[in-house]
Amino acid sequence: MDRSYKELLKLRRFPHTWCPGCGIGAVLKNVAMAIKELDWNYKNTVAVSGIGCSGRMSGYMNLDAVHTPHGRPLTAAETIKTVRPDLNVIVLSGDGDLGSIGGNHLLHTSRRNPNITVFCNDNEIYGLTGGQAGPTTPKGTKTLTSPRGEPYSPLRLGRILTQQPPYFYARTSVYHLNHFKTCIREALLWKGFSFVDIISDCIELNGRRLGFKTAYQMFKWFDQRFHIVEGERDHLQEDELGIAKALVEEVPKPAEKIEVKPEIPIESLKPFTLEELQQFDGSGGKPIYIAYKGKVYDLSGSLLFQGEKKMRCHIAGKDLTKDIDIAPHGEDLVFKFPLVGKIEG
Amino acid sequence: MKPRINVIWNEIYCKRCLICVEVCPVQVLSLERNEIEEKDGCIRCYQCERYCPDIAIEVMDEKGRG
Repeated sequence: MDRSYKELLKLRRFPHTWCPGCGIGAVLKNVAMAIKELDWNYKNTVAVSGIGCSGRMSGYMNLDAVHTPHGRPLTAAETIKTVRPDLNVIVLSGDGDLGSIGGNHLLHTSRRNPNITVFCNDNEIYGLTGGQAGPTTPKGTKTLTSPRGEPYSPLRLGRILTQQPPYFYARTSVYHLNHFKTCIREALLWKGFSFVDIISDCIELNGRRLGFKTAYQMFKWFDQRFHIVEGERDHLQEDELGIAKALVEEVPKPAEKIEVKPEIPIESLKPFTLEELQQFDGSGGKPIYIAYKGKVYDLSGSLLFQGEKKMRCHIAGKDLTKDIDIAPHGEDLVFKFPLVGKIEG
Repeated sequence: MKPRINVIWNEIYCKRCLICVEVCPVQVLSLERNEIEEKDGCIRCYQCERYCPDIAIEVMDEKGRG
């Protein structure tokens, strides 16, 4: 078994401070494994974390890391990605941080679609502060602040984040390990805002109140509550684990038509001398001809020359090669007009 | 780092959450006197190592002690 992911963890700080059986340790370990598999390292990866138990994840990773104020990991991550687009930015945070305090940032960061990956450790409770009902607590759950059962419906992060493409939303759990690893890997490889909602256990502050004795009993409870759905989905139901992703359908632009004028061989052109050319100055119903680089062009169709002998500074019926070279416009203005002859001599 | 028959158990990292004991499909791991002990019969499925959130248990490679 490949254990090289340990290079990405600060093992001298271990054992970590989370409770026995906490799912954040599994999230930390599997994210480190996935990053190592993709050969990302401390040179090209930044970890950003918010507040909560899961905020300590960035501190245990051997990466350049930012520990941001309450609810602001997404703003910091988007800033880092904007300033240094070459870095891979991952956000390691929890549901209380991303869903309630930083809920507004979640809406608008997902709307702007920066190329960052968010790992949300969703333990369905405010774990750090002692087990209060959080934004993702299911209806009817007994918590510290709702001893008769949470009366309100939870925030459905999946529905919020999949409201308009492009989006990448994956829901997985720490029990379904293979699915968990696939989701992490696909999210890291997704170009754009990707969000992995990891259903995790908080045995000490949530599980005990619900009647579970060990973390593994909570894992089995996840197995009963959720089932994995395969394939590409637009949305995930509340009891489904899977990946919902969509790209913006790009409307193909109509190809611009390029008109190719048939090139006339210079020998077949009508020869003009400079004296002959001077007669064609537009006076008396004659066409307006000018010479440019040895060729004569008919500028009768030009709006600027219409009805006038001269146009501000260019004089009709002359060789204007030097004038056009110093003019603010380019020579392509002349090439729009029909070629009628060449200058002799 | 305490070697058992097929696993190495790290007593400093371990928090005795008992995930490895319960996830083992052949029930060879157990907690006795606050230490993880191993009986004969490990089938080397690596489930304990994969599920351990504290990186406290490792299955030895075949070449090591097999």
